[in-house]
Order: sequence, then C-alpha cells, then structure tokens
Amino acid sequence: MMTLEPWMMLVVSMVIFGIGLFGLLIRKNLLVMLMCVELMLNGVNLSFVAFSKIHHSLDGHLAVLFVMTVAAAESAVGLGLVIALFRTLRTVDSDQIQILRD
Amino acid sequence: MIISLLVFLPLLGFSLTAFYHFSCSSRKKEPTVAVGGFLATGAMVASFCVSIVAWFKLRSAGFGDASIEESLFSWMKVGGLQVDFGFRFDRLSAVFTLVITGVGSLIHLYSIGYMENDGSARYFAYLNLFCFMMLNLVLGSSLPQVFLGWEGVGLASYLLIGFWSQEMGNVAAAQKAFIMNRIGDLGLLFAMFLGFKFAGTLDLAQLSAFAFRPDVATIFGLLIFLACTGKSAQIPLFTWLPDAMAGPTPVSALIHAATMVTSGIYLLGRLNPVIAQSPVVMSVIGAIGAATALMAAITACFQTDIKKVLAYSTISQLGFMFVACGVGAAETGVFHVMTHAFFKALLFLGAGSVIHALSGTQDIFKMGGLRRVLPWTFWTFTVGWAAILGLPPFSGFFSKDGILHETLVASHGNPVLFGILAFSAFLTAFYMTRLYVLVFTGDSRVSEEAKKHIHESPLVMVIPLVVLSIASLVGGWFGAPVRFEETHAAPAHGVSEAVIMVVSVGLALAGAYIAYRKYSSNVRMELSKDPFRIDEFYLSFFGNGVKKASSMVGRFLEDGLFQKMLQASGVAVDLGGNLFKTVQTGSAQGYLLMMVLALIGLVCGLIFGVPGYGNF
Amino acid sequence: MEISDSLSFLLTLPLFAMVLSLFVPKGVQRVYSIFASLLFLGLTIYEASGILFASSSEVAGRLAVEHQLVWLPQLGARLALRLDSVSVWFVVLNALTAVIAFSTKGIWYRKNPKLFTAMGFFLIFGLNAAFLSLDLVVFYLAYESVFIPMIFMVGVWGEKQKATAVFRFFLMSFLGSILMLVSIFYLLSKQFKTGIGYSSYLPDLIPTAGGLQGTEALLVFFGFFLAFAIKVPLVPFHAWLKDVYTLAPFPATIWMSAILSKLGVFGMIRFVGPLFPGVMLSVQGVLLTLAAVSVVYAALLAYRSNDPKSLLAYSSISHLGFVMLGVFTLKQSGGASAILLSVGHALVSGILFFLLSKIAERKDGIDLTNPQGLASKYPILFTALFVAVLASVSLPGTLNFAGEFLVLLNAYPVSALCTAIAGMGAVLGAAYMLKFFQQMGFGAPSPESDSAVAKSEDLGGYELILVFVLLITVIFCGFQTAIFLKGN
Repeated sequence: MMTLEPWMMLVVSMVIFGIGLFGLLIRKNLLVMLMCVELMLNGVNLSFVAFSKIHHSLDGHLAVLFVMTVAAAESAVGLGLVIALFRTLRTVDSDQIQILRD
Repeated sequence: MIISLLVFLPLLGFSLTAFYHFSCSSRKKEPTVAVGGFLATGAMVASFCVSIVAWFKLRSAGFGDASIEESLFSWMKVGGLQVDFGFRFDRLSAVFTLVITGVGSLIHLYSIGYMENDGSARYFAYLNLFCFMMLNLVLGSSLPQVFLGWEGVGLASYLLIGFWSQEMGNVAAAQKAFIMNRIGDLGLLFAMFLGFKFAGTLDLAQLSAFAFRPDVATIFGLLIFLACTGKSAQIPLFTWLPDAMAGPTPVSALIHAATMVTSGIYLLGRLNPVIAQSPVVMSVIGAIGAATALMAAITACFQTDIKKVLAYSTISQLGFMFVACGVGAAETGVFHVMTHAFFKALLFLGAGSVIHALSGTQDIFKMGGLRRVLPWTFWTFTVGWAAILGLPPFSGFFSKDGILHETLVASHGNPVLFGILAFSAFLTAFYMTRLYVLVFTGDSRVSEEAKKHIHESPLVMVIPLVVLSIASLVGGWFGAPVRFEETHAAPAHGVSEAVIMVVSVGLALAGAYIAYRKYSSNVRMELSKDPFRIDEFYLSFFGNGVKKASSMVGRFLEDGLFQKMLQASGVAVDLGGNLFKTVQTGSAQGYLLMMVLALIGLVCGLIFGVPGYGNF
Repeated sequence: MEISDSLSFLLTLPLFAMVLSLFVPKGVQRVYSIFASLLFLGLTIYEASGILFASSSEVAGRLAVEHQLVWLPQLGARLALRLDSVSVWFVVLNALTAVIAFSTKGIWYRKNPKLFTAMGFFLIFGLNAAFLSLDLVVFYLAYESVFIPMIFMVGVWGEKQKATAVFRFFLMSFLGSILMLVSIFYLLSKQFKTGIGYSSYLPDLIPTAGGLQGTEALLVFFGFFLAFAIKVPLVPFHAWLKDVYTLAPFPATIWMSAILSKLGVFGMIRFVGPLFPGVMLSVQGVLLTLAAVSVVYAALLAYRSNDPKSLLAYSSISHLGFVMLGVFTLKQSGGASAILLSVGHALVSGILFFLLSKIAERKDGIDLTNPQGLASKYPILFTALFVAVLASVSLPGTLNFAGEFLVLLNAYPVSALCTAIAGMGAVLGAAYMLKFFQQMGFGAPSPESDSAVAKSEDLGGYELILVFVLLITVIFCGFQTAIFLKGN
C-alpha cells in the first residue's frame, strides 16, 4: 500500500495554489476571485502541514491555525467590500471596476 | 563735544519737526509752516552759534594745522578696517561749517516766508536733515562718514526737489538728480576700496598723508573726481542740476548753489595732498573745470527761466572752482566757494523773492520794471549781480580774480585755462546783466493776472537778503580763509596781479555793456534752448539704453531662456508621466499578473542566476 | 563649548505652539500667533544673548552652545545642535521674521486660519532645526521639511495659477536638494570605506570631504552648491522665484525672501565652506562672477517689472547677489560682512513686503502700476515705506549699507571686475527702488484711489510700533556694526 509521502502533499498544495492563482487571474467575478484567494490560502496551509511533517515540528500546524483565522476574517471583510462595491457600482465584474486608475 | 553738538543740533531739529508733523497729521490737523519753521530755524541758528564758538576755539589753538577731534564710537571694524564715527574740525571744515550753518540759518528763515502758502513742517524737516548730512560731509573724520554725508545730502536733495510730489515732472527731476549722483558716488565708493587696499585705512588724515604709487594715485584721484563731478555738477554728470530747479527756490539757493554742490571742492581740498601727487589728475580736473565753466556760461545765455540761468551760472562758477583745484590752488577755490555761497544764495533768494511776488512766474521775458515795486529785492540783487560780475570791491572780485591769477602762476596753470576762464567771465557778465536788465529795468511785461498780486516780500524774507548782501560785499576783504601746504611756484609768466585785475574787470564791464545795449530796450521774446543738447543725448543713450537692456534681458534671457527651461522641465516630467501611465490600467487583475510575473522572474533569477551578476 | 539642554527648547517650543494653535478659536488666531511669536522671539534672544552681545569673536566662540543626542546609530546621525556666532543670527532672524509674517492680515486668517498658524509654527521649527543642526542627515531632513508649510501656504492661500508656481518651486528646489542628498550619501559611503563607520556629524565628515580629489570633489561639491544656489537663488537658478513670490500670500513671501533665502546663504557658510575649501578656491572666479551677474541681471529685471511684488522679488535676488559675493570672497571678514548684509536684507525685505501688504489691504483693487499719490493719503505708511526703500538701496547709515560696503570692500582685492559689476547694481538698485516708491506714492491721486482711501486709515497701533521698532533697529545696527563683526 502506498504511504502518504510529504512530497505528495506538497504537489497537491502546489496544484491547489496554482488553481487558485490561475482562477484569480482569469475569472472576472469578484466573488469567484475571493474564492480563488481562499483556495490559494488553503494550498499554502497544506504545504505548511507537509513541512511540519518533514521537520517533525508543530510550528507549521500553529501557522495553519493562524492562517485559518485570518482567512475567516479576510473573507468576511472581502465579502463586505464586494457587497459595498456592488451597491455603489451595480456590478461585480472586475473589468468594469477600474476606478483605481484615476 | 562741541563739534558733535553743532552737528547733531540740526538732527534734533529734524526729529522735533518730523515728530510735530506726524503728531499733527495723525490728529488730522494741518502742520503749520510757522511752528515747523520755528523749530527748524531755531536748531540751525543754535548750530551756527556753536560753530562760531568752535571757530574761536580753533583760532585760540592757532589755526594752521590745529584741529579739534572728536570720536564718538566705532562704526565698522573688520578685517583690518577700522572706521570710527567722529568729527574733525580744522580750518577747511570750519569755513564750510560756517557757510553751511550761516547761510543755512538765513535760508531757513527766508523759507518761513516763502513757503507759507504751499509748504508744511515736512519741508523744514528735510532742510534740517540736509544740514545735518552736509555737516557730516564736511566734518566727518573718515571717508565712509564723508560718504554718509555725501549720499545723505543726495537724499535730502531728492526729497526737496520732489517736494511738490503731485507733479510727476518734479519727481522725475528728483529721481534724475539722485541717480546721476549715485553714479558719481560709485566713484567715491571705489576710491574707498582702492584707498583701503593700498593704504589700509580710510581715515581722512592718514589717507591724505599716505604716499600712493603714482598709478594708484592717478586712479584714486580720477575716482574721487568722478564723485565730485556728480555732486558738483561738472561734465559729464551736470545735467541734473538745471532740472533740480523744480524744487522750491530756497532749496535751490541752499543746496544747489551754496552748499551741496560745493562738496566736490571740499573733497578735493581735503584730499589735496593725494590728488596733487598725480599731474594727470590735476590736468584732468583743470580741463574739465574749464570746459564746464565755458559750456555752462554759453548755455546760460540762452535760458529764459530765471532759475535756470542761475543754475547754469552755478555750474559755470563751480567750473571756476575746479580749475582752481586743478591748477594747484585749492585754497583759492575754497575762497571762491565761500564768496560764491554768499552771492549765489543772495541771487537765488532774490529770484525767489521775484517769483514769490509774481505768483510763480519764472520766465524773465514776462518780468521787467520790477525795480520800482520790489525795492529791497532790487537793491540786494544789485549787490549780488555786482559780486558775480567780479566788480571791486565786491567779494566775487577777489576770489574770481584770484582764480584767474592762479591759472597763470600756479604750478599746474597754463594760459589756455586762463583764456577759457576769462572768456567765461565775460559771458557771465553778459548773461547776468541780461537777467538783471530784463527783470528789473525797462517796461513791465508782467501778465495782468500776476500784476494784481504783486507785492514786496515780507520781513522774514528781506532780512536774509540784506544780511547776505552785506556778506557778498565784505566777504572777500579778508582773503582766502585756508592755506594748503603745497606752495606756489614763483610767477611763471611774469604777469602782475594788477594787469589781470584790469583785464578781468574790463571783460566784465564789456560783457555787461553788450547785454545792456541788447536788452535794455525793444525787448524781443526769446525761447529757451540748450545749444549742446547733452541732456537729450544722455536720455536717449543711457536712459533708453538701460530701459532697452532691461527689456532685452527680460525678453530674451528671462522669458526666452530661463522660464522656458523651467517650463520644459515641467513638460519633461509630464511626458515621463504619460509614458508610465499606460501601465496603470486600473485593472486589479492586470496588476496581479504583473506581480506574479515579476515574482516568477525573481525566483528564476534566484535559481538560475542572472547573467553578469551570478546567483543572488 | 558648553553642552546644554536649553537649545532643544528652540525646537520644541514652536512644535508646542503649533499643537496649541489647533485648540485656539479661529477668531483669535492672529492675536495668538503674534503673541506666541513675540514670546518666542523674546526667548530666542534671551537664549542667544550671550553670543549676540559678546564683546569679541573669541568670547562668542567660548559661549557657543552645543547639544547632542544620538538618533540613528545605523547612519551615525545624531541630533547635534549648535548655537554659535554664525547660526545665532539666523535663529534670531527666524523668530523675528515669524513676528512680521504673522502680523500681516488677509485671507489666511479668514480661510482655514488654524492650518495657517500651525504651518507657520512648523516652518519656524523646521528652519530652526536646519540652522542649528550640525549633522548633515538631520540638516537635510530639516531643510526638506521646510517645503511642507511653504507648499501649503502657496497652495491654499496663493493667488491664481498657484498650482503652476508650487509645482515649479517644488521641482527646482527638489532637484537641488535631492542632489545634495546624493552628495551626503556619497560622502557617508566614502567615510565608511575608510573604516571609521558612519557619522554624518559635520566635523567627522570634513576629513572625508578633504580626501576627495579632482572631478569627484567637484561633483560632490556641485550637489551641495546647486541646492543652496537654487534656494538663495543665484542666477541662473532663479527661474522659479518670480512666480512663487508673486503668487504666494504675503506672509509666505515674507518668509521666503527674509529667511528661506538665508537658508541657502547659511548652507554655503556652514557646510559648503568647511567641507570644500579647496574646490571653492579653485572655482572662486566662477562663483564670484555668478554672484556679480546675479546682482546686475536681477536689477535689470526688477527695473522692468511693473508689478510691485515681482519688482521686490527681483530686488531680493539682486541683494542676495551681494551677500553671495561676500561669502565667495572666502575670507573670514567677507563672510562676516555677508552675514551682516543677510540680517539687513532679511529685516528690510520683511518690512518692505509687510508694508506692501498693508498697501494692498488698502488699495481695494486699484492698479498699483500707475501713479496714485498715495503718499499724501497715508503719510505714516509711506514714510515708513520710504525709509525701508532707502535702506534697501543701502543708503549710508543703514545696516544694509554697512553690509554692502563691507562686502564690496572685501571683494575688491579678490576681484576688482566683479566688484565693479556688482557696484553698477547699486546704481540700478536706486533706479528701480525709486520707481517702485514713486509709482505708488507720488503723482496726482486718481478718483478710484480717493474713494478707496476714504474707507481706510493710515498705519497705526501695533503695526506702526512694529515697523517703527524694526526700522530703528535697521538704522541703529547700521552704526553699531560691532555687534555683528566682533572684531573679525
């Protein structure tokens, strides 16, 4: 039976992070982009766990807990912002939200 | 502290009068001439009394090289330079001091009458300020202090010429006087720099005792002389003086005839030992003086304004004094300063009295027959006329004759100078008699309007006239008041003084006779003209020159170059901004992409290395 | 030399006044700022009195106060403050200028006065920090911090087109100071290589700067020189000045001409002189020429100006040309004369702009470029203005005369030609200043000015006393020059 080697976890984490990043770059809907950010965070979390296992240390687990807390906060704030943007601009399409340019 | 007292009394008068003026105007009251005149005249008379005391004190010290010195405080002390603020009262200063305070007091008094209608306390404050500065000029112990007086009298002259400042013409005349004087002042300034560089001191006594290198002495002398041409209205800087007649007449008498314009002679007399070291400077002074005397005398013959005639006459007489300095007989020049101060102040005040009587008319062709209506003015003016012609025994005779004599016998004298001066003396007789005849004799050509108000001047104006005419009569009887060390060569041409005396009196009478014949009857109107047109030349050449230079510099360098460069730098920044603006799309995902690419690039660099730098 | 904590008061007090101004009601901001600045002036003079009135330069040197505090050890930067016979004049002038500037009246006390007062005190703080600091990094920071209030003042209360003016001002000044920063860092890195670590304390950097050779030395010198030459300004680095001076509100103009320009003079004397004596000597001819050309060039431009404010702006450049001439003689006595003239110029240009603001208050939209005959309407105001004009054309007896005379006297043995060129500026100076005065003061009053005059009073009260005291100071100091020269 195949054991779960740490490098496999790393590969998975890289794939998840890549999907998140790719989605963030190409999807136009702000909500989806937020979800992509969550994916990237979870990818990082997975790599933390993997390294924790490699080094036999609990520091990584600790970091994951922190990240999860921050991610929760971030998604709360992010969703709030998206709603606020939607209320003012009547859209959640990132191509149409370019007021930063001016 | 007697000298300081006599110098600072006019300053006290100035402060009191100014204070009075402002305290009135802040209470919306008109400051009166009477109070201002009383304060100012009082200060001047007090100063005159102190000067007399000082004179006797000096006499008891035995004249000669004796002097009273007072040092008040250290003015400037830096890098080897030590300038004390103090006064030195010796025989040369004493003559000038007595003239300034004496004639000054009389003119202050006269002004109370003359200015009663359109003056104010301000006027007297200015007069006092002038006297204070003038006393600084002649009593200052160092060149910077002389310079203080030198520019200070220029300031007072500016204020008084432009006293009626509602007329922009007066203001322009005042400005012209100030700026032309400033050009001359530059000469004095640079003479100070030169003197300090070589002699290491600016104290007058030390400086005039210093033996300069011959070339330095020449430049120094020429710079000093440049200053003198400005203040004493000699070629090339004389054109301001006729315009300065825009000021009230007593001012013309005090500043532009008796005192300020003679300060050039004072300076040359003061620095005589240095000036005399350079033959070049001496001959330049003589030549310029003679040329000025002649040119101004010719111009005076063509003037119709009573004050302008006197102004050109002043320039001409100053030329005489400079010739005296130039031939090496500065003491005779100073003698003429004194007699000239008396009779020219008298003439100006007489003219003022005429103008006052005729409610402001100044054209001599609109006068005539005033002998009967203005008897006091007439008789005193006659004394002045005789004195300037040089008729014996009037004071002008002694000094003018002295100068003519010196042009032949003094160390730097020569017959050409004598010829020019003799001819100028002849012209002087001509134009003065022309003036005299046109104003006082013959039929009246006064306009009906002016005739109604015609009146002899009040007592405050007559008293100075009388005092000055006595001074003009006896002023020359005691000989030159100053002697400088430089001794005369023996009479070079063997001309006896008697011959010159006869020649000069003869010329004067001839000039007077011609003028009398020409103007005593059948007077035809003449228009004023300036045969040399130097003023116009200056105006077009320098006046417009500066204006043109200023607008050229402004247009081409400032607006055309520097401001453009500044704009260009702005444009460059703008262009750069536009270039980089294209990257700023505003799309968050675009930025993110850039970030990711940059990150990937960095990581690649980290792993594979960058050409030329190796691994990070 | 005495180590003292009292010096830091010169920095903390303005900051305290700035904070306090935020709690003062709008209506009394002017009273508050005048009062506070007068108090500060008094304290400054008290603090400086030992050096100000010392009997000789030796005594003044002994009395110099120094205060040190390590601040950024990584850069070797420290808060080294020094009050000596050079900086003392600028510190006192700074306090005095603030009094004049705060005493003006205008839109800045109506529109957002709290910001104005606060910025004013911040400016005093920044200037004092620059004048007192003996540490190059701290000096640079202070030097730059002065921009902030200036940009606020011109930007918020300036006249039309102020944005362009602010932009130009910023652009040129910043160009200069950024090059200075580069020079400072270059010096620091050089010093680091010699192995003694970082120290931006001026005496520590002098050997480093002395070790530079040839082009390298010239370039580093140029970085400093350009910053100060723009600040003063010297022709041809002056192009920003006219717009800023004319468009800035009066207090800002007073600050700029009276004290900000002196920052450049001070920098030349304090930093450039000791750091690069060799370079200065080798390019002395160029420097003197620049100074002399500044005098004449700006005088010609002033002669051409019809607007009184820009005329005074150019006259400021012209007079500062004299100051720089004194500095560039590279002699102790020349430097002392230049400081003397700086003080004179600061006082007189402060008074001139102040009085001009008083006239502008009264003119009510009358064109000041035509004869107005205002002198007979406001005798006191115009008498004061006339005395200030006389001081500005350096009539003997004023502080400016003593300064100009001594500067030229010291410059003459070094370069007679440059002295002669600058001397011509004195004649032109008389021409344009008289024109300036006559335009407004003399002539027949026009009907518009009559109606405007009817509404307003002559100068009086506090303002009169202020101007009177300042003018008396100018004349008194003109005779008591020993206070400045101290037997140098």
